[in-house]
Amino acid sequence: MTTASSSLPEIGISQILGLLELLQGKGGREDIYKLAGELSMELGETLSVIKAAELLSLVHTPGGDVVVEDFGTRVLEASIPERKELLATKIGELPVFKSVREFLDSKDDGEVTREEVLDKLAELIPNEDAESSFTALVNWGRYAEIFGYNDDTQTFYRP
Amino acid sequence: MNPLIELQDMTRRFLLPQGELTVLDQVSFTAYEGEFIAIVGPSGAGKSTLLRIMNGLLPPSSGKILYQGKPQRGINYETAMVFQNFGLLPWLTVAQNVELGLEARTKDAALRMKTVSHYINKVGLEGYEEAYPRELSGGMKQRVGLARALAVEPAILLMDEPFSSLDVLTSINLRNELIDIWNDRDNVVNTMVMVTHNIEEAIELADRVLVLSSRPGRIAGDLRIDLPRPRQKRDRAFLEYVDRVFSLLA
Repeated sequence: MTTASSSLPEIGISQILGLLELLQGKGGREDIYKLAGELSMELGETLSVIKAAELLSLVHTPGGDVVVEDFGTRVLEASIPERKELLATKIGELPVFKSVREFLDSKDDGEVTREEVLDKLAELIPNEDAESSFTALVNWGRYAEIFGYNDDTQTFYRP
Repeated sequence: MNPLIELQDMTRRFLLPQGELTVLDQVSFTAYEGEFIAIVGPSGAGKSTLLRIMNGLLPPSSGKILYQGKPQRGINYETAMVFQNFGLLPWLTVAQNVELGLEARTKDAALRMKTVSHYINKVGLEGYEEAYPRELSGGMKQRVGLARALAVEPAILLMDEPFSSLDVLTSINLRNELIDIWNDRDNVVNTMVMVTHNIEEAIELADRVLVLSSRPGRIAGDLRIDLPRPRQKRDRAFLEYVDRVFSLLA
């Protein structure tokens, strides 16, 4: 799933961590279908959270199960600020975040507009609606402190 | 353990057009320093009213409230509240929301910013300082609510259904992180009182569960939860506590 053209699921970091914590309580592995039932979540929604966790190398999904990776275990064992550091490194390695950061770094004033980032997303993820990845881009990017975003001026900036 | 807040025969009535309504009746208990207490009860049992009386936002109609052995009058600034719907001001940024409670406590803006930054870090919110609540997920909004409450460095954190507006995975995560915050000796607060209608949540988190009967709310039970953490909901001992709370509510 981790390719240059992967869309970003609109899933919050807290949901991803919640999934990991739930799996930890089950010995680190669970059947995806059973998990969706237990959480009373739509299967599609459960899959989006799992996809987000997989993008960050926290879990893998062999044969219909979801299994916590070693990196996921390290995140679970870390304190709140340490978790943030671990996840920030992983988010920073995703092609879409690298590209947006390089785009920002290429500007003399270190700022780009929302429209420019949407155009960039359309290039990076051509088969997806850029708007649908925008919220996740902003949230994960802020969490990882890859960039800042000012909603008043609708500009991205280097933190 | 030292007693922090003691409620003695506390009753709260409200005057309504159709007559007087007793919401809490002869409630007595003591919250000790370092405890995590959960208060469970059905809707209308007066759980939220009880928290507001402990915080001093509402006075009791009769009975006594003691804080560290002395009568509590007016708002108790040694407490801070976390709300179900976050209670954030939408026109303020994350950092400004966290700073809000500090403005009444210190005029030193540099000290306020240092404190804001410290507690934003504690709850994993760095990078969101300039974000507005409308841009945040429920989980991040409640982290702001927590950071704002922690920033005033209270002795007691009072939480009113803090996880019930959140999706199931986010609430799992924030419950775990709340325990980490409670155990973090670096934080001033070490006593927590949480109101919830979720019995499993109460048993998962608390040292003691107080069960309130339906209106008027009376203490129907005071259970010590003697289980190691992290607690697993499928364990037999956990399920036995769930049964005991249910039977007290029934």
